[in-house]
Amino acid sequence: MSNGNVISLKDVSMHFGGIKAIDGLSFDVAKGKIFGIIGPNGAGKTTVFNVITGMYIPTAGEIYFKDKKLNKMMPHAISGNGIGRTFQNIRLFEDQTVLDNLKIAHYSHTDYGLLDVFFSTGKFREEEARIEDESREILSFLELEDLANQKAGALPCGAQRRVEIARALYCKPEVILLDEPAAGMNPAEIDNLNQLIVNIRDHYELTILVVEHQMRLVMGICEEILVVNFGKKLALHKHEEIKSNPAVLEAYLGKAKQL
Amino acid sequence: MKQRNAKNTITLNLIVVAVFFAVLIVIKETGIIASSTLLILQYIGIYSIFALGINMVNGYLGVFSLSHAGFMAIGAYSAALSTRYFFMAEWMFPVALIFGGAVAMLVGLLVAIPSFKAKGDYLAIITLGFSLIVQSILQNVRFVGASKGMNNIAKYTNIYWVFAFLLLAIFIVSRFVNSKYGRSLKAIREDQTASMLVSVDVRRNKTIAFGVSAFLIGISGGLISHLLGYTSPSAYGFTNIVDGLVMVYLGGMGSILGSIFGAATWQALVQLLKDLGTWRWVVGGGLLCLIMVIRPKGIFGYMEIKDLIRTAKERLNDRKQGGNTNE
Repeated sequence: MSNGNVISLKDVSMHFGGIKAIDGLSFDVAKGKIFGIIGPNGAGKTTVFNVITGMYIPTAGEIYFKDKKLNKMMPHAISGNGIGRTFQNIRLFEDQTVLDNLKIAHYSHTDYGLLDVFFSTGKFREEEARIEDESREILSFLELEDLANQKAGALPCGAQRRVEIARALYCKPEVILLDEPAAGMNPAEIDNLNQLIVNIRDHYELTILVVEHQMRLVMGICEEILVVNFGKKLALHKHEEIKSNPAVLEAYLGKAKQL
Repeated sequence: MKQRNAKNTITLNLIVVAVFFAVLIVIKETGIIASSTLLILQYIGIYSIFALGINMVNGYLGVFSLSHAGFMAIGAYSAALSTRYFFMAEWMFPVALIFGGAVAMLVGLLVAIPSFKAKGDYLAIITLGFSLIVQSILQNVRFVGASKGMNNIAKYTNIYWVFAFLLLAIFIVSRFVNSKYGRSLKAIREDQTASMLVSVDVRRNKTIAFGVSAFLIGISGGLISHLLGYTSPSAYGFTNIVDGLVMVYLGGMGSILGSIFGAATWQALVQLLKDLGTWRWVVGGGLLCLIMVIRPKGIFGYMEIKDLIRTAKERLNDRKQGGNTNE
């Protein structure tokens, strides 16, 4: 079923009453790609992420992660199986430290039970030591090690976005879904973020899906770009092709004025 | 290095426990303090366990539950029945207490189920319903004395058992909180959806939290029924629910120190203000209002001793630095 694709959507629809947030959408994401999803507001981009991560059960169609069908899996099982994500409106555990935010995300890969906790077995102590080391390693990769003991909610927005990426990374995912990671950033910051995303992909051998409005990011790093409008696929292109597609320009940038 | 640290903390803890019990023995056996004070100390110990149990769900997990009166009743009655029919010998008292806790825990696992979907006010009403159901079942079952309750329960509770089980409760909660389970509870409290999406199994963790909570509350129930020598359904109604909430919200949400402080303050207050009669509820209630306005998370909300020491140190450092810049 997978054909080397990490994520496959087959005729997926997500209807809320009469509203068709996604309407018969199909696409495949190959391993190791940075895959962009663009479209106007309300086109169903974030809904695509929500059905992949199990927050919504799709009305119709099938979603595959490698060979696994995700349709009826619980969200925690999906993220535990290897799909991490970030949120459009940053959702960190604000009262917890940055370090604890990461540790929380390692839940499904933490290998001890309640009895290990109460009797403080060697297994428990080893696992906790490993988690501590590994989460600090990820923090230092994202240049966040100085913030490890700060409360996540007290950080500036840019740092919070990075912590969110770090947290998604410590789910030990194979795929990361980034939901508008560049929102509110200036061009220089976006260039840094682009570099970071590429580095993460290469270092952790990930596949990355990114929903974004900032064309600087999309055109900068996405190797394939899916354009959606009204929940339907408008186009799927290599990034150099997209600028010249009139339908895309109309949907995304508005109709050219007749002068 | 790490191994040695772990060993050092264990020895340190053992020393603290040994000193603590030495003090208890001196207090009890030499009779330097009045037996009424001794009784208050036992109340404080028992209600500390109670508050720790409530804090597990209402504080750490952040779910507003009113099921504690039901759990306490179940613990009290099952422990009392077990010392009457199975564990009659006095040395088996701890077994009876743990039995009471275990029965409450099994029920707790079921009460967790509605918390998967229901939130806030709705869950409060569901759990209130649970407490009232338990109370009215006890009022109607002849076998346990119906509304008269059970009398002639063996008075096995003494100050040693109370504080031994309090230490056990502190141990359980502190181990739990510093593990992946405790971290997950805090995550669920802050953002349930986000926790699911970072692989935290919300249902499992809620079930575990309710189970541990009910276990501790059940034990406190067993202790109280064997302290008084009788127990009746009327003890597990609204007063009990309010008492529990007051102790937790006064002392501090999500804090071991807070639970114990809250239980101690509230029990001491209730005893000290006894002469005031009905007015004590006015004084006590007024105090509660005041604290909720000044410190909405309770006096030690989300804080433990180590946090207090850290903030104190930071303040001291700030002051020093401030002094230096002035020079």
